[in-house]
Amino acid sequence: MVKHRHSIFAKYRTIILAVILFVVADSLVISINFYGTFKANESAVSINLSGRQRMLSQRTTKVLLLLQRSLETGDEAEVARDLKELDLVVNLFDSTLKGFRDGDTVTGGDGNKVFLTQVDTDISRDLVAKTYVIWEPYLDKLRPLLGGNRNFSPAQVEAAVSFARDNNLEILRLMNDLTSDLELVANTRAHFLRVILILGVFVALGNFAYTVVVSIRDLMRSDEQITKAQEETTEILSTVHEGLFLLNKDGTLGTQFSASLPKMLRRNISPGMNFIAVLREMVPQNVFDAATDYIELLLGDRVKESLVTSLNPLTNVPITTTDQAGATQQSYLTFFFNRAIMDGQISHLLVTVQDVTEQVSLMQRLEQAKKQSKTEVEAFLRLLGNDFGALQQFLANVDQELAQINKELSQDDHRHQHTLNNILRIVHGIKGEAAVLGVDVLEAYAHECEKEMIAIRESGDEVTGDHMLRITVLLEGFYERYSSLSEIIARFGEVLGNKGTQIEQAVKTPRIASQIASLAQRIAKDQNKEVEIFCKLEMLETLPGRISQDLQGISIQLVRNALTHGIETPAERAMAHKPEKGKLHLWCERLDNTHYDFVVRDDGRGIVPERLRAHFVKNGQMSQEEAAGLSDHEIVSQLFLPGVSTATTANRDAGHGIGLDVVVEKIKNFNGHLQIKSHADLFTEFHIRFEITV
Amino acid sequence: MSDIDEKDIHSFVDAVSAYFYQTTGEKAEIRSAYLVESGVSATTFELIGHISLSGSFSGRVYFSASRGMVRHLLLMMKELNHTEEHLLDTVGEVANTIAGNARQHFGDTMEISVPVVTATTHENWLNTVVSPRSYVILIKWKQYKASVVVDIQRIAK
Repeated sequence: MVKHRHSIFAKYRTIILAVILFVVADSLVISINFYGTFKANESAVSINLSGRQRMLSQRTTKVLLLLQRSLETGDEAEVARDLKELDLVVNLFDSTLKGFRDGDTVTGGDGNKVFLTQVDTDISRDLVAKTYVIWEPYLDKLRPLLGGNRNFSPAQVEAAVSFARDNNLEILRLMNDLTSDLELVANTRAHFLRVILILGVFVALGNFAYTVVVSIRDLMRSDEQITKAQEETTEILSTVHEGLFLLNKDGTLGTQFSASLPKMLRRNISPGMNFIAVLREMVPQNVFDAATDYIELLLGDRVKESLVTSLNPLTNVPITTTDQAGATQQSYLTFFFNRAIMDGQISHLLVTVQDVTEQVSLMQRLEQAKKQSKTEVEAFLRLLGNDFGALQQFLANVDQELAQINKELSQDDHRHQHTLNNILRIVHGIKGEAAVLGVDVLEAYAHECEKEMIAIRESGDEVTGDHMLRITVLLEGFYERYSSLSEIIARFGEVLGNKGTQIEQAVKTPRIASQIASLAQRIAKDQNKEVEIFCKLEMLETLPGRISQDLQGISIQLVRNALTHGIETPAERAMAHKPEKGKLHLWCERLDNTHYDFVVRDDGRGIVPERLRAHFVKNGQMSQEEAAGLSDHEIVSQLFLPGVSTATTANRDAGHGIGLDVVVEKIKNFNGHLQIKSHADLFTEFHIRFEITV
Repeated sequence: MSDIDEKDIHSFVDAVSAYFYQTTGEKAEIRSAYLVESGVSATTFELIGHISLSGSFSGRVYFSASRGMVRHLLLMMKELNHTEEHLLDTVGEVANTIAGNARQHFGDTMEISVPVVTATTHENWLNTVVSPRSYVILIKWKQYKASVVVDIQRIAK
């Protein structure tokens, strides 16, 4: 505060000094002028009265002569009048002369009392002294005639007249000289006063000129500093990468902000714009509410700024924009708020906006890497619980399947829709096998790929080369994960001393039954269902590798379907008077030397043509007429077409219309024959008969 | 190759598409895409132009087209000089456009070489020089095909 006052004095020092000088000079001039006027008044009284003295000296002589004549004529009235006038003029002359000598109150020209100043020059003093030399004997001669006294003698009159005749002219001359001297003094004083006034005017003019020059110089200097400061501010604001602005207490932006601010906020910004309204458009409601509370807190003075910094909700705020091509871009901004203090009061908040997209992206990548690493470790730990040979076999299969996908992609036959369906089947197969073995990393990625490809298929748009490129990128991701997993398994194999021969053993292990059972239990749990599994799949071990693999794949798809579409929830089953726990049977048996049966049967709601018709019509997959025109066989056959599902919602286990498509494709691989048996609310049975000839 | 995303690959393909559009008014479109793997080769045409990248990424991007396609392209550009040298120059120009787009897409962290052009009769020439799992993007323009092969890796910092 003291500093602030000091700075104000320094800023206006010149003007303050000029004003002080002006007041002092003016006071001086006014005082001198006042004194001069007073003295001039005194001089005027003195000059006036000295002039009257001349007149009185003449009147005294004149009255004396008139008195002598009146006495001679014996006119008593005239004598009395002359004596009275003589009394008046002599007293006036005497008192005035005394006033000139000593300074005294005398009767003025208008009859009023005035103070007559003592003469103060040597000439005047000398003139007054000389007058007294004549006046005192003259007064002695006049005294018998004064005071209304009639007891004077003619000789006394004659003596006074005679003295008057002899000295009248001398007294007149002395009074004339006194008047002249007093006029000279008055003139000298008037001249002095003029000089002082002229000097005062010059001082005032000089002071004014000095004030103007210095003020203009200071103003120019100040303007120059302001201009320079403005230029520097503008340069800073146009150069700085951060968004900078002052936030007023009413939530509006200040008049200046950095050039990068509109670019960072991805919108037009103008001075005085309501920042709170801008914020409302940019962030979700909960963040907005927290942000306005935070800003209010900072604008108040109840809390320390440093204590609430951590409460700032505007950190890593996602900003999504759409460019002209319709592509969305996301960036992240962090807003920093600092109080701006003026005179000890919070005047504004200085807001700094930083683009933290790169940091956030780095953090996200780091987080993703951590997550992936964790997933991989978890996956590895889970894999340790698996049969090692089965894993190796699975990876070998995946390798082949990925190669197959790549071959499908490289078929330059422009049948993209067909390619997409084929790839979907392969990916779905990988997902199923990965699920059985608990290879989460591949199951999750396969599911992700599946979702993207289904979105392409269901968009209704033509499948284009751009989609093929997207699928190729997904395939690369698959290869990446596959390679990492293979590396882990290979190292694991080295540790265990397992070699390639394990693959054949893996096929022959009887663990498929338990793996399918655990997959079924996992799906049942996910869907809040209960199921009892009955597997008799030892026969699979004796079948050729490829058929065994296909049948395992079929098992997975049909188990998924049975649990998703067939077996009901415990509540539904209770209402249908069925045991709460569903039953799922899988078996493979040899009929004769060459023929085999593979069966998957559940005791669920069954496949009911009428329900399928209603479902397809409701979902818009076919019209009422089309549905009615199809036979029961034809309507059930729809289930085997790519993209057809009866699930109301899709999840990772079913609902994408791929599973039965995969089943059919796999059956085709070994020329099997599929028969479906079903009864409403009782059971569904997939019966596959196939032949193996040596 | 997984650290190359779809946008990165598109930046190369879009450059080719834009070149054809600017010079002939007809866009080149993606026909199909796949990876170079055992048993699946990178489709090679007679004329090949490539640029080398270094910096945050390392590797090469190839553009390969048939002589017929390039001749047709020159005709559309009202260019009557169809010498082998000129055909190769045209392929080099496409590669240069790819380089320009790459500069714009990847920014200053990427150093890009001048285009290098080659003529070959070896139908698997590209396969002999590119890394496994390089991207092959087949382009169609009119009745012709061309290929863009992206063989780049991000350099770990």
